[in-house]
Amino acid sequence: MKTKSIVVVSMIVILTMLLASCAKAAPVATEAPMAEATEAPMAEATEALMPSEIDCMGAAAGDTVSMLYQWSGVEEENLNKILAPLVEACGIVINPESTRDQALLDTRVQAGTPPDVTFWNVTQLSQYKDKLIAMTDLGVNGDNYAEYWKNIGTVDSKWLGLPVKADPKTLVWYSPANFTTDGYAIPTTWDELDALVEKMVADGKVPWSMGMESGDATGWTGTDFIQDILLVTQGPDYVMGIIDGTIPYNDPGVKAAYEIYGKWAMSEMYTVGGAAGTVSVGFNDAINKVFSNPPEAMMVKQSGFAGGTVKATYPDLTYGTDYDFFGVPGAKGLQGGSDWMMAFSDKPAVKALVAYLSSAKGGEMWAQVGFDLTPNTAGSDAYVDAALLKKGQILANATGFTPDIGDSIPGGFGSAEFKGITEYVNGGDLDTILNTIATAQIEGLK
Amino acid sequence: MRRSKINKMLNKIPTHFVIIFTMFVWLVPTIGLFITSLRPLPLINTTGWWTAFSDKNTQQTSSTTKFTLNNYIDAIVGYRGTNTYVEDCQSGSQSSSLKCNASDLLNPRGMGQAFVNSLLVTIPATILPIFLAAFAGYAFAWLDFKGRFLLFAILVGLQVVPLQMTLVPVLKMYAQTGMTGTFLGVWLFHTGFGMPYAIYLMRNFLGGLPKDLFEAAYLDGASHWTTFTNLVIPLSMPAIASLGIFQFLWVWNDLLVALVFLGGTKPVMTYQISNMVTSLGAGWHLLTAAAFLSMLLPMVVFFALQRYFVRGMLAGAIKG
Amino acid sequence: MSSANVPQVMKQGKVIPWFYLAPAIIIMSIFIVYPMLNTVVLSFLNKDGTASAATTCNLGQPCWGVFENYRYALTAELNITSFNTIWQSFWVSSYGNTLKWIFIMVSGTVGIGLGFAIFAERVKYEALAKAIIFMPMAISFVGAGVIWKFVYNWGTSQVQVGLLNAIITALGGKPVPFLSTTNLNTIMLVIVGIWMWTGFCMTILSAALKAVPDEVLEAARVDGASEWQIFWGVMVPIISPTIIVVITTMVINVLKLFDIVYVMTGGNFGTEVIANRMYDEMYKNFQTGRGTAIAVVLIIAIIPFIYMNIRRFLAQEAMR
Repeated sequence: MKTKSIVVVSMIVILTMLLASCAKAAPVATEAPMAEATEAPMAEATEALMPSEIDCMGAAAGDTVSMLYQWSGVEEENLNKILAPLVEACGIVINPESTRDQALLDTRVQAGTPPDVTFWNVTQLSQYKDKLIAMTDLGVNGDNYAEYWKNIGTVDSKWLGLPVKADPKTLVWYSPANFTTDGYAIPTTWDELDALVEKMVADGKVPWSMGMESGDATGWTGTDFIQDILLVTQGPDYVMGIIDGTIPYNDPGVKAAYEIYGKWAMSEMYTVGGAAGTVSVGFNDAINKVFSNPPEAMMVKQSGFAGGTVKATYPDLTYGTDYDFFGVPGAKGLQGGSDWMMAFSDKPAVKALVAYLSSAKGGEMWAQVGFDLTPNTAGSDAYVDAALLKKGQILANATGFTPDIGDSIPGGFGSAEFKGITEYVNGGDLDTILNTIATAQIEGLK
Repeated sequence: MRRSKINKMLNKIPTHFVIIFTMFVWLVPTIGLFITSLRPLPLINTTGWWTAFSDKNTQQTSSTTKFTLNNYIDAIVGYRGTNTYVEDCQSGSQSSSLKCNASDLLNPRGMGQAFVNSLLVTIPATILPIFLAAFAGYAFAWLDFKGRFLLFAILVGLQVVPLQMTLVPVLKMYAQTGMTGTFLGVWLFHTGFGMPYAIYLMRNFLGGLPKDLFEAAYLDGASHWTTFTNLVIPLSMPAIASLGIFQFLWVWNDLLVALVFLGGTKPVMTYQISNMVTSLGAGWHLLTAAAFLSMLLPMVVFFALQRYFVRGMLAGAIKG
Repeated sequence: MSSANVPQVMKQGKVIPWFYLAPAIIIMSIFIVYPMLNTVVLSFLNKDGTASAATTCNLGQPCWGVFENYRYALTAELNITSFNTIWQSFWVSSYGNTLKWIFIMVSGTVGIGLGFAIFAERVKYEALAKAIIFMPMAISFVGAGVIWKFVYNWGTSQVQVGLLNAIITALGGKPVPFLSTTNLNTIMLVIVGIWMWTGFCMTILSAALKAVPDEVLEAARVDGASEWQIFWGVMVPIISPTIIVVITTMVINVLKLFDIVYVMTGGNFGTEVIANRMYDEMYKNFQTGRGTAIAVVLIIAIIPFIYMNIRRFLAQEAMR
C-alpha cells in the first residue's frame, strides 16, 4: 500500500513533467494572435504593401523580438494593433512580456539576459546607458521627431531612446455642464484660475479634487501638480534646471510652489476631504468625484488619461458636454508623461521595429489606434478621437516641453519626491522634506 | 449517563459560539470580495458591497443591472478592452484575437492556457521538495552525523534569505545552461526555496515520533531504508499533507519567480491576473473575479488533504 | 554535540545519513547558498558594484568604511542627536514597525490559530470551519488587496463604500482615514496579515494536535481534569515543539512579508517595514549594495530564534 502511493505520486510527477516538455515544444502561447495573423497574409502582404511604407531592415519571416513593457489590459491590446502592420509585412514574431515590477527588468539586465527591446521610463536610458544600442544605429527616422524629444532621449551624446507615447499632464478636467449651470468661465490666466477657485469657495463649492493615493506610487498626482505650478511661476527652463541639477530641489522657487499647492491640498474648503482626502483618496476616485451626481468637486488636475477613467465609471457621460479639459492656465510650457523604447539588441527585427515606429506609417498607426499621443510628428493629424485630437494639438504646439521631473532623475529621486509630497500634505515639515528630496536629487545625478 | 450527555451538549454551546463567530469574522472580507466580483464596475465604485441587495442603489445609475457575470467572463476569456466581452461581441467590435464562441476559452490571454501552465509549474514544484525534505528531515531527526547542529542552524537561517537576493545569480546560471524559460528551471528554483522550511517542519514532526518505534523496527531486522519507507513516510502523512497544502499554495500564488524564470511566453494564472489591470489601474474590478477563479484549486487541495488530519494514526505504535 | 550521548538507535553508520541529506544539500547550495554569497559581496560595494562602499562616504559625515552600506541600513532612519531622539525615531522606523508587526502578528496568528484548532476539533463541521479560516491563504493578495482597500476605504461623500467607515457612520461616528493615520495604520495592516496567516498556523497546529494520543486525553479526563487543565497540562506540553516551530516560521514570514504594505500604503504614512525598504533600495533606488545590506541584517536578526530552536532540538533528544 505504501509502495503503491509512492508509485502513484511518481506517476503524477512524471506525467506533469512529460506534459510540460510537450508544452515546451508547442508554439509559444502569447504570440499566437500575432503569429496567426502572420501566416496567411504574409506572402501577399509583402507584395501588396508598398516597400517604401514598411522597411523590414533585412528581418526575415520568423525572426523574433522579445519585448518587455509595463502595459497591460487595453494598453497591450492597443500595442498589438499598432504593431500588426509590421508583423504582417515582415513576418516577425513578437514575444511580449508585461509587468509593472521593476524587479523583472533589472534582474534580466543584471543577469545579462535583457529583452531585445523594452518600453520603460526615461530614467532607464541613463541607468542602462552602457548596454543600450543607439537609435541612430538602428535605422531611426529622426526627421519625425521634434528636437526636444531627441534631447531628452540623448545620454552622453548618444540618442538611446525612442519616445513612443506621450500624455500631456498640464491639463485640468472639468464638467462643462456643471460650469454652465453655475456660471463659471474657463480661466485663461493663473490669476483668473485663482479667482475662480476663490469664487467657488465663496459659493460653497469645493473647487478641487486632489486625491493622490496610488499604492506604492502614492504622491505622483501631487508632484505633477507641483511641476505644473512651476511651469506657471518659473517656466520650463527652471524645470529643466531641476532635472539637470543646476537648480537644487530645496530652492525657494520650489518651496513657493509647494506652498501654493499645500494651501489647496490641505484644506477642506479647497479640496475634497482636505489633507486626509488628498492622501487617502485614490487618483482614479479623485477623477470620478468631479463627475458624480451631485459632483463633489468642480475640477481635477490630471493627465490626458482621465477621460478614460470617467468613461469607465460613468458610461452615460459624453466627452465635450459632460467632461472636458483645458490647459493649466498661465503655464509657460507643457509637462508630459512619456514612454520610451530602448533596445538591447541590434538584430534586424529590432531595426525593423525602430524603423517602423519612427516612420510616417508607424506614427499614423499609433495615432489612429489612439494609444494616448505619439511624439512622432507624422501622427499628429491622424487622431480619430476628438479628445486625442485636442490633446495632440496641445502637444504639437507645445513650446517648452518638460518631461516629468520624477521620471527624469535616476536613482531613488522619483520615489523620494512622491514620499516627500505625501508627507508634506500629511503634516510634515516642508524644509526638512525638500532637503531630503534635494539629497536624493544630488545622489541620483552623481 | 444521559444527563452527562445533555451536559456535554450544553457545554458545547460556547464552543459553537466561538467557532461560528470566528468563522463569520473571517468570512466578511471574502464575502465582500465575492459580492464585489458579481457587480458591475459603476456600482462597485459608488456604493458599498453590503448594499448590493437593496434597491436604492440601482436608481443612481440608470442602465446597469445589479448583478452580472461579466467580470468572470472577462477574466476567463482574457478580455482586454474598455467595455465587457459580452457587449463587444454583441456589437461586433471585439478584438481580432477573440471569436465570440467557445474557442475563446482557449484564448492565450485567457485563463484556460494559464491554468494548465500553472498546474505544470505547481505539481512538480510541490512534490519534489516534499520528497527530498522527507529524506533530509529523517536524517536530521533519527540519524547521527557530524555537524548536525551546525547544519540545522544554517537550515533555520536559510529560511529568511529573501528571494530577491538570489534572482540575478540564478538567472545568470540558467542563461549559461540554457534553462531560462523552461519549466525545469522554475521547478528547481521552487524546490530549492521550499526546502529549508520543508526540512525544518519534517524534522520537527519526525523528531516527535517515539524512540520505541524505531527500536522495535530495528529489532525486527528492518534496515533504515525499510524503516523510512514503511514506517516514517506513512506516519508522517499529516505533516506531509500540511506541507503539501502550503507548498502548493505558495507556488500557485507566486508571480515573481514565474515572471523571472518563465516569463510571458508560458503565462501562469498569476501573470494573466496581474495583466488584467492597466498601468493606470483600469480594470482592477476584474481582479475580484480572478481571485476567486484562482482560489478554487487550492481549496480543492485543502479539502482533499484534510483526510490525513486524523487523530490516532500513532495510536497502535505507542505503548503507554 | 558528541556522538556519545546520542541514543544507540540513531547510529546508522557514517555514510548513510549523507545519502539522505545529499539531494537537499546540493539543491539548497545551488539555489540559496551560492547565490546568496554572491550577492552578499555587493553589500560591501557601491551602487554599481564597481568600487568599495567606502568610496560612497561623504566628507564630514559619519562613515563606516566598507561597512558604509550597513551604516546606511541601520542608522539612516534614526535621529542620532541624543539617546531620546534615537529611541523615538526607532519606533517609527522600519525596524520599529517590523518589531510591532512581529509582536502583534505572531501572537495573533498563533493564538487564534491554536485556539481555533482546539475548538474546531470538538464540532462535526471541523473541515468546513477550518477551510474558512484557511481560505484567505488561498486568495492571492492581488485580489485580497482589492477587498481590504474597500474595508478600510475612507469616503469623502455621504455614502461610505468602506465597510468599517460605513459601520462607524451608521453608529453616528466620524469616518476615520485608517490607512493614512500613523500608528493606527500599522495595526490595520497587521489585521490583514492576521486574517491571511492564521490559517497557516491553524493547519500546522491542528496536524500536531491530531498526533496527541487519545489514550493520554482519556486518561486525564478519567482523572477528573477539566478541559482547561487538559489544554494547559496535557496538550500544550505535547505540542510545544510544534508551537515553537510555528512561532519561528511566523517570525521569519513577518520579517520577509512585504506585499501587504506594498499594496495597501506603499510604505507611506509611517508604515515602512524592513522587507519593504529592502525592495525599495534594490529596485526603486537601484542601490543594490544598500538593499543587500538590509537583507543581511534580516538574516542576522533571526539568530536568537536559531538559538532557541537548537536548544529545543537538544532538549528533545535528551528526552529520548
